[in-house]
Amino acid sequence: MSAADAPGPVLAPPPAGERSAGAPLLEVDGLRVTLVARGRQVHAVDGLSYRVAAGQTVAIIGESGSGKTVSSRAVMGLLPPSARVEGHVRFAGVDLVGLPERELRRRRAVDLAIVLQDPARSLDPTMRIGPQITEAIRAHLPLSRRAARERAIELLGRVRIPEPRRRYDDYPHQLSGGMRQRVVIAAALSCNPKLLIADEATTALDVTTQAQIMHLLVELQAELGMALVLISHDLGLAATYTDEVVVMYAGRTMEHAPTRELFHNVRSPYTKALLGAIPRLDRPPHDRLPVVQGRPPDLTRRMQGCPFHLRCPSAAERCAAERPPEVVDPPGHRFACFFPHGEGNLP
Amino acid sequence: MIASGAVASGAAGPVDAGPGALRALRALARSATARVVAIRLLSAVPVLWGVSFLTFILLNLLPGDAASSILGLNATPQELAALRAKLGLNEPFFTRYGHWLGGVLSGHLGASLISGQSVSSILSQRIPVTLELIGYAFVLSVAFAVPVAVLSARRPRGIFDRISIWLSMLGLATPNFVLAIVLILVLSVHLNLLPPIGYTSPSADLAGNLKFLLMPAISIAFGLFCAYNRLLRADIVEQLQREDYVVFARAKGIAPRRVLVRHATRNSLFGLITIVAVNAGTLIGATVIIEQIFALPGIGQELISAISQKDVPLVEGIVVVFAVVVVLANLVADLLYAVLDPRIRYGGRGA
Repeated sequence: MSAADAPGPVLAPPPAGERSAGAPLLEVDGLRVTLVARGRQVHAVDGLSYRVAAGQTVAIIGESGSGKTVSSRAVMGLLPPSARVEGHVRFAGVDLVGLPERELRRRRAVDLAIVLQDPARSLDPTMRIGPQITEAIRAHLPLSRRAARERAIELLGRVRIPEPRRRYDDYPHQLSGGMRQRVVIAAALSCNPKLLIADEATTALDVTTQAQIMHLLVELQAELGMALVLISHDLGLAATYTDEVVVMYAGRTMEHAPTRELFHNVRSPYTKALLGAIPRLDRPPHDRLPVVQGRPPDLTRRMQGCPFHLRCPSAAERCAAERPPEVVDPPGHRFACFFPHGEGNLP
Repeated sequence: MIASGAVASGAAGPVDAGPGALRALRALARSATARVVAIRLLSAVPVLWGVSFLTFILLNLLPGDAASSILGLNATPQELAALRAKLGLNEPFFTRYGHWLGGVLSGHLGASLISGQSVSSILSQRIPVTLELIGYAFVLSVAFAVPVAVLSARRPRGIFDRISIWLSMLGLATPNFVLAIVLILVLSVHLNLLPPIGYTSPSADLAGNLKFLLMPAISIAFGLFCAYNRLLRADIVEQLQREDYVVFARAKGIAPRRVLVRHATRNSLFGLITIVAVNAGTLIGATVIIEQIFALPGIGQELISAISQKDVPLVEGIVVVFAVVVVLANLVADLLYAVLDPRIRYGGRGA
């Protein structure tokens, strides 16, 4: 959210993570992304701000089309040239927005790395897995072919691929989905990145494998002292693994708070609705699963009011006409709503 | 597809451990390639038979026969009847076909009805010229199409891409014989760079041979180049824009050229191979006209005169050879898939 939109105490420091230490590594500030699809502009991300420090984990939560994936691609500089990116993405103080491709390329895998959703599609089917790791290593580190190979084998072992030396020469189709995602993680971590974005990294996997991959990510994060940005639609995942949560909807930030505070004191009706949509064991069997009614709005039109007002149970006339300002209440807990749930300190 | 199915079932058996390349080679030798080749060659038999039979029917439907071609318009009915009897043209259709087929099965393609020369000797004289022309045109079309497509895909709608689109539209709209004549006019008549007609064998003078065949090869290759170029360019752009492995490759910070060539282009080659194989027939058909224009002593000229003279054994011999070339081209395409796509190569192991 940019300062102009919010009359509230915008200049207040952003919510501090529970393990936050020192200066933030990544600072996303008022990020806006406009994509062009079939001649029409799509406001995919409309004001996203968050910070991550080394060793910290931030989750960006939202349903499909909320802009979370686009925002992660924008941070990596991987959007097509037709996309318009505004705002700031500061990595260790350097603004990546507007940096030439050469400069960005030098930072990828070394500073920032990403793991994509579908491991079956993120590896090149015509290339052995080993070279898919070494090509990253050789692009950034002054290692010989042989040394890069040894490093790749070591990485494969570190992401718990059995018999890494033998697997090095396998093709992606010879591995299971979980194994492929481990290879992707090994490739992403090949040059010791300081920040890892996991963009729905476990969504395409079965539940058991999901848990294994999440554990692996968290373990590697602790080991390497990385900052981790977890992009997901799964609030449960966020509750378990993160220090801070950003809830996005239709490209806007709906709520942003330290994880514990968010789950104890939900302010945004959208977050509430998302929480309500998680299936629970204590519900009667064969009951209809609760869903968030309606569909996300058309992002080709700029909305006047709150993007959620059509689906929101607490919506009033005002919500359709006026964009709710960002409110910080209690300190460290931001949300954008005229009729919030829960309690704050404001009158 | 027959081929991939065969490979998959072939490679499903236990594969011994060993160094990767050796293991792959052993698996290939044991089952996959051998089976693909065997199955494809066997399935070619009914194809070749069908081609020969249809050709026989078509020639039979045409008015006139070899006897009238030999004797000309002034022949008396008695002379015609005598020659027909001598050439066996009065036999019933199936007897004649059976006679020819029996000869082929015992390894004899028969003799030309007109010249009496054996069909196999005519083929062995003429086919090398045509095969060289086909090979030349094929190499030119692919050798230019791949780099031009890659450079166009690098910046879609960029200046290079626009020129390439414009050129391709022109090329696709120009029949090869028109291009042949334009080439002769420009390169031979006006600029005097290349000989308009003539031929020397490659064994006698390779440079001269390539010079004589250059314009004919360009005439055939240009249209194919345009088709391959557009297809491959579209495929590469599609890979670059849609595929996650391209995003991930870029996310690894590797050089854009490597993303373009090693990842996107490599994965786009399958479509190109299919189209090249499908176009084998077009390529052969084109040689018939182009050989005529450039007066090349290839099989195409022989085919035209054989058809007009109803020289059935010669037509059959040529048509069957063409059919074999098409079948082989498709077989090579299938084997190339296996070389380029590891998923086909190894079949079912693992996932």
